[in-house]
Amino acid sequence: MKTSVIKALLKKDFALFVSNRFYMLITIVGLVFYIGIYFILPAQMEEEFRLGMYAPVVPPAFNQLTENEGVDIEFFADEESLKQAVLDGDYVAGIALPPDIMQIWAEGGKPGITVYYPSTATAEISEVIVALVKELSYAQTGQAFKFETTEEILGPDMLGSQIALRDRMRPLLAVFILLVEIMTLASLIAVEIEQGTARALLITPLRISELFMAKGLLGVGLALGQSILFMALVGGFSQQPLIILATLIIGSIMAVGIGFLLASLTRDVTSVTGWGMLVLVLLTVPGFGTVIPGLISDWAKIIPSFYLTDTVSRVANYGAGWGDVGVNIIVLAVFSALVIWAGMISLRRRYQ
Amino acid sequence: MTENSIIVENLTYRYGELTAVDHINFEVGAGEIMGFLGPNGAGKTTTVKMLTGQLRPQEGKATLLGRDIVKETQAVRAEIGVCFEQTNLYEQMTALDNLTLFAELYGTKGFDGYALLKRVGLAGREKDKVSGYSKGMKQRLMVARSLVNKPKIIFLDEPTAGLDPVSSEAIGNIILEERDRGATIFLTTHDMWEADKLCHRVAFMDKGKIAALDTPHNLKLLYGKRALVAEIAAGTGLEKREISMDAPDTAHDIRELFKKEKVVTIHSEEATLEDIFIKVTGRRLIE
Repeated sequence: MKTSVIKALLKKDFALFVSNRFYMLITIVGLVFYIGIYFILPAQMEEEFRLGMYAPVVPPAFNQLTENEGVDIEFFADEESLKQAVLDGDYVAGIALPPDIMQIWAEGGKPGITVYYPSTATAEISEVIVALVKELSYAQTGQAFKFETTEEILGPDMLGSQIALRDRMRPLLAVFILLVEIMTLASLIAVEIEQGTARALLITPLRISELFMAKGLLGVGLALGQSILFMALVGGFSQQPLIILATLIIGSIMAVGIGFLLASLTRDVTSVTGWGMLVLVLLTVPGFGTVIPGLISDWAKIIPSFYLTDTVSRVANYGAGWGDVGVNIIVLAVFSALVIWAGMISLRRRYQ
Repeated sequence: MTENSIIVENLTYRYGELTAVDHINFEVGAGEIMGFLGPNGAGKTTTVKMLTGQLRPQEGKATLLGRDIVKETQAVRAEIGVCFEQTNLYEQMTALDNLTLFAELYGTKGFDGYALLKRVGLAGREKDKVSGYSKGMKQRLMVARSLVNKPKIIFLDEPTAGLDPVSSEAIGNIILEERDRGATIFLTTHDMWEADKLCHRVAFMDKGKIAALDTPHNLKLLYGKRALVAEIAAGTGLEKREISMDAPDTAHDIRELFKKEKVVTIHSEEATLEDIFIKVTGRRLIE
């Protein structure tokens, strides 16, 4: 590969990118918009206190508490519905009482009470729930510790490490900025094929590998540059910057591969935009799981961008290390290698 | 023209059931301008695509400057220039940037974009975006782009199609300059007059095959009608008389004509390449 050739192609592609008002508009406005969203979102956590409860037999003291103390408790018909509601993030916790609670207390025993928390619950919430159950127990039996609690976290266990909404949005926004460049790259390639300029390039001694390298570098540069800028401005590199950087680089390579595939499988810029939006929406879906834990089921793991957003989220927001996200990074790297390989093969056919 | 720049042997290409190029054979000498004539769909562009490495021949072979176009595609491409039929320039870039990009891709040392643009009549517009150029200017820039690497063989695919006479003449002059430089030129065209004026030899292509190949002069001799046409005064008007040049008493007939009639004009009647094409293929070039 000749570096002078790659440099000439990069210079040309960048000039075309800059001279295209549409690309520039979506790039600059998009970046400003996402940074704006981050700073507009609240930096504080929500403190709303709503409880869910499954109680086949409701102890009288519990009814008094809800009526007199104003604690907002929603009762559920079964334990599974309660768990799902907690998992969906509708309640700060869910309390499941055993059906024979009154009988156990009457016999002087300690009933087992299960408390379900969403993964976003704070340590303070846990303390409040225990205190509440203690008070209920006292009101009903005259003894504070006439119960045993089992605590279960629904979704990834992040108890005690709840973060503000805007920080939960940060990985989603960073990854979205990165993925938007799929469309920019695919459009640049599609225009070259449509206008026949790619044919003019390929009639020169230029090797197709040099063309791919130049396009790849441009795509990685645009995607990585913007996502790094965003993360730097919103404090996303405060923890483990190397892991985040490595993840964003691999993610950018994945974006380039998908861009190649998109350009090779579509007919023109219009179809790139149409199909590109669909791809973008699909790839963004796992990101919502970082904003609302538990929102996305396990099926989202088949979408490769899951490993990108999940890694950025766990590292930037929860301080995860190489060991914690190593598997994620390997899966992402393998997928990126596969998609760029497939993209190059497909695009080579399109060029020919 | 001592050696051949292009040698084509049994070159064939099919698009599915359609044989676009059907076992054609020809050679083009170094420094020669070869015209490739034929109507749309005759197989001209497919031939150019194979010769420039854009399509892989399905049968036969071709060598350019002694190099096989399939086995040494990159080396061949370094020595050729191609001007496409369809305009395919980077319209958002300036003319100078367009040429500089291709000069960098070819690795042309000491490339002077200003001088090349001046040659094609685009001096003073070097830093204008191509999107603001007229069709003729774009075509001249396309020709200029095909020259950035000082190619030994230049493929020009319909370079003057749809152009005004000034632009056509400018391109014609560049072709002649390049011939003088020693380049071999492979010109595909619909324009009989252009081919007649510029080409050393022309090939008539029809339905994927070469129907005739020779110098325009020889083709005219072979297929044209050798006759003299005289216009003579007849009352208040003119009357035409035709005298065959191959009849045994041609000299006598001419003498008698001048003796007995008032001859206003007299000239030989030559067949045009268009006439010959129709005679050879039974089709018109532009249908």
